Amino acid sequence: MGNKFLKFEYLLLFAVFTIATCGLVYELVAGTLASYLLGDSVKQFSFIIGVYLFSMGIGSYFSKFITKNLLNTFVEIEILVGLIGGLSSVILFLLFETAFAFQFILYLLVFITGCLVGLEIPLLMNILKDKVEFKDLVSNVFTFDYIGALLASILFPLILVPKLGIIGTSLFFGMINISIAIVLCYLLKSELKKVKLLRAKAIFSFLVLLVTFFFSENILSYSEGKLYGENIIYTNSTQYQRIVLTHNKSDYRLYLNNNLQFSSADEYRYHEALVHPAMSMAKKVDNVLVLGGGDGLAVREILKYKDVKKVTLVDLDEGMTKLFKTNQVLVDFNKNALNNSKVTVYNKDAYIWAKETKEKFDVVIIDFPDPSNYSLGKLYSLNFYSTMQQLLSPDAVVVIQTTSPYFAPKSFWCINKTVMQVFPQIDAYHAYVPSFGEWGFTIAISGFGTNFNKVNRTVDGLRFYNYQFEKFNYFSNDMISKDIKINRLDNQVLVRYFDEEWGKL
Amino acid sequence: MKNGENYSSSRRNFFKFLGATLLIVPLLDACKEKVISLLIRLSGTNHILGHKLRVKNFPKPSKQISIPYLIIGGGITGLSAARQLSKKGISEFLLVELENNLGGNSSNGENQYSKFPLGAHYLPLPNQEDKELLQFLEEEKIILGYDEKGFPKFDETQLTFSPDERLFYKNNWQEGIVPKVGNSAEEDAELLRFFSMMDDFRTKKDDFGLYWFNIPMALSSQNDAVKSLDKLTMKEWLKQQNFKSNPLLVYVDYCCRDDFGLGIEFVSAYAGIHYFAARKQNSTQDKNDNVLTWPEGNARLTHHLKKYSKGKTLQNHLVYEVKTENGKAVALVFDDKTKTSIEIIADKIIMATPQFVNQYLFKDRKELTKDFHYAPWLLATLVVSDLTDNFSFPLCWDNVAHGSKGLGYIFDQHQSLQQIQDKKVITYYFSFSSSDCGKSRRDSYKKPKEYWKSLVLEDLKISHPNIEEVTESIDIHLLGHGMISPKPEFLFGESKQKAAQSIDDKIFFAHSDLSGISIFEEAFHQGINVVNKII
Repeated sequence: MGNKFLKFEYLLLFAVFTIATCGLVYELVAGTLASYLLGDSVKQFSFIIGVYLFSMGIGSYFSKFITKNLLNTFVEIEILVGLIGGLSSVILFLLFETAFAFQFILYLLVFITGCLVGLEIPLLMNILKDKVEFKDLVSNVFTFDYIGALLASILFPLILVPKLGIIGTSLFFGMINISIAIVLCYLLKSELKKVKLLRAKAIFSFLVLLVTFFFSENILSYSEGKLYGENIIYTNSTQYQRIVLTHNKSDYRLYLNNNLQFSSADEYRYHEALVHPAMSMAKKVDNVLVLGGGDGLAVREILKYKDVKKVTLVDLDEGMTKLFKTNQVLVDFNKNALNNSKVTVYNKDAYIWAKETKEKFDVVIIDFPDPSNYSLGKLYSLNFYSTMQQLLSPDAVVVIQTTSPYFAPKSFWCINKTVMQVFPQIDAYHAYVPSFGEWGFTIAISGFGTNFNKVNRTVDGLRFYNYQFEKFNYFSNDMISKDIKINRLDNQVLVRYFDEEWGKL
Repeated sequence: MKNGENYSSSRRNFFKFLGATLLIVPLLDACKEKVISLLIRLSGTNHILGHKLRVKNFPKPSKQISIPYLIIGGGITGLSAARQLSKKGISEFLLVELENNLGGNSSNGENQYSKFPLGAHYLPLPNQEDKELLQFLEEEKIILGYDEKGFPKFDETQLTFSPDERLFYKNNWQEGIVPKVGNSAEEDAELLRFFSMMDDFRTKKDDFGLYWFNIPMALSSQNDAVKSLDKLTMKEWLKQQNFKSNPLLVYVDYCCRDDFGLGIEFVSAYAGIHYFAARKQNSTQDKNDNVLTWPEGNARLTHHLKKYSKGKTLQNHLVYEVKTENGKAVALVFDDKTKTSIEIIADKIIMATPQFVNQYLFKDRKELTKDFHYAPWLLATLVVSDLTDNFSFPLCWDNVAHGSKGLGYIFDQHQSLQQIQDKKVITYYFSFSSSDCGKSRRDSYKKPKEYWKSLVLEDLKISHPNIEEVTESIDIHLLGHGMISPKPEFLFGESKQKAAQSIDDKIFFAHSDLSGISIFEEAFHQGINVVNKII
């Protein structure tokens, strides 16, 4: 025995060491992925560590029922751990969309990996028990086990995740796991039974992981596509936001920072409701201002009125307006509105621009993103509306997209009440836009020369709005909220309402 | 982002990002050793010129000026006195200032991204009783009018935008600077008891109807119960009242360092309580404890006050002797630009200078001054490319780390109406709280700027581990005599009274250090009161 046995023992101990390393890596991968995809990292990590350790216990318990072919089982388990652990991250990424099943699969994978890793150590001790003194055996096995764990926990955040990514890391360690099995197949030829079959299994598994490893980049982007549930046809990260355009059958959807901006199937409802009430009530529409709305769809509606002489669009993001001036698909949507000679585009901060401009407008259409953070909240403040008032001609009409009165009634009426402090006439209305849900607007007039029921001009060919404003300003009880504060720069109460209401969904 | 159904997915994305960032960023940073080249500049009050007072080898006056009224010192007191003189119809006066700029502690700096304070940076909403201050704010359109109930309507853009304050406590940012999330029940109970005591102090009046704690200080009660609070330190008082929980003590210590430069161990208990109880929070309907602020801090107020002394100021002029002679008040002044001296003869002189300066201008005043302690301060304005933290609560105007040695930092662009800033500008505050302010000051003058850089960055690292990598420049501003720091027995002590006594009805003293509390309101009233006394 002598030397040969020494080699045998150290080989197996080295296997313990890699198992421990790989096992912990799988656990860390699962924890990271769970916090990455589900959030709440403390909870995810805690649960995963718990489940993992528990299932190791279960594995250890069942090890006593394995009495035959110990070495073969050991190698097979090694292959299995490599395969399951290695593929776990890929499986989790791809299945992320179905959230409930996702958690189940997550814990199932953690459980299986844990069980298998739990089986290995007792198994190994059984293999070695007759060949090594018990005292040495226990001490060696556990020493290598814990060293492996330490190595994994250090390597994982410092080198593995930054260099390989999460999917890459788990696949890489799966391959290491299986390589050990392959090496064992060769070195312990004489001790193993059915070596060829075992070797074939190992090599096949290894190749599966290898191929997946090379395609892991594609898996990630496929997964982003799955997140949208549609084919991504265009992505672009501008200085301010990430623009994603998707296409599914005849429907195009534009997402800004993952929030749906419009769906080509029903955006006409939104934009007709946004633009036409104000345009029809205003005394004159010579000079129209649009704040936000860099997609040019509101401008498209405005330009339907031939008496419009000038449209000014102020949108922060040059990347956005440029895209809607040049991209063929998108230019088709807005009917080339942003390239129209009546239209001037300023890529400026709307608040600052409004403070500085001296021009007066007859209609103002405000189409800002929802007040989901404190920066955006400023654009819905009392001071902002006072600033707007300075830009209006007598009897000008202002309309503001004001989120959903159904999902967020407090936010909706908060904006309405804030606007009420500034303008003599004010009303609210809403429209159903299937891709958004029930959506609302606040409308105000800067004088008494016109009112909400006046129709001073119309255009033909609208599919949704019929110039009967009174059909749109009725609110059922589930869209009403009382005792609402005014949104000011120094309280930003709207952002709090908004967070509370959308956070509940 | 009209985001109906998809909002929850954006939330999920946020958590994805959060999870990934939480895990990866700090660890990544730990192994990244980046060589950082950042720009550090060191500035401060002109102590070099100021220290010439000790040697006094100035040239003989080569010029003489006669003027009815002379104000010495262009801080808030001096500027407020100039305003009050103008209001009384007096236009013949002169104001002399040592520095190149006016405003004293209410000065500012500016870089290509933002203005930033070089001292005081906010004004709490005034007490409703403080009619003079309310009037000033109305004149300057900070108050836009009054509502039907008589409450002032403050300009929304000059009130601190929400969210205004956050605290880094137990590895998370939380809203407000009082530690709230993560306390034990006992700790919460102590905080509650403390604040309820402060609420009582806030409304407490003596038999004459005077508040125990008021602004200006001069209007506070002087009864024995009040004075007894000035006989011990804040720490002793807290102990007496059986306050011992760490969150409360650390919080109160922070407040005292922030307002007086001295922690609870050294500051008078009266001053400590004054911080909480002197502002009556009665100028708004909802008991608002908001404050007024500007990117440049109180330099905005300096700017408003400055117009009253326009064309009547001599800057870079060091007064080195003041005396009475032949029934007139005389000041000898060194012009640092031309290196010549002038003699200014006035009917009355207003000394709007701190007492540590006055001791060199008058004979036999050193003894009088030894009870005046001034804590040194350090301000560091950083330009950062990004200011990431763990996103537990968004960036606020005032950002404080619980238990830090410094006083946290102000986000200087917080009052900007803009959506996005290319670079962020923050100003970090540090006060040297010790029993021996003089020693701290002398030590501070010797330290190189690298020392200050690491002091600032190390402290900021508590809440922003990667601050060093994102910092592009640091402007360090040292204030040797940052502010008067009221140790026990100073506020109601004799030295303060004696130092305030005028000389021969010719020379009058006014400065916030004579109030004992270094806040805008005190200086503002010192300036008004001294003029009212003269005329």
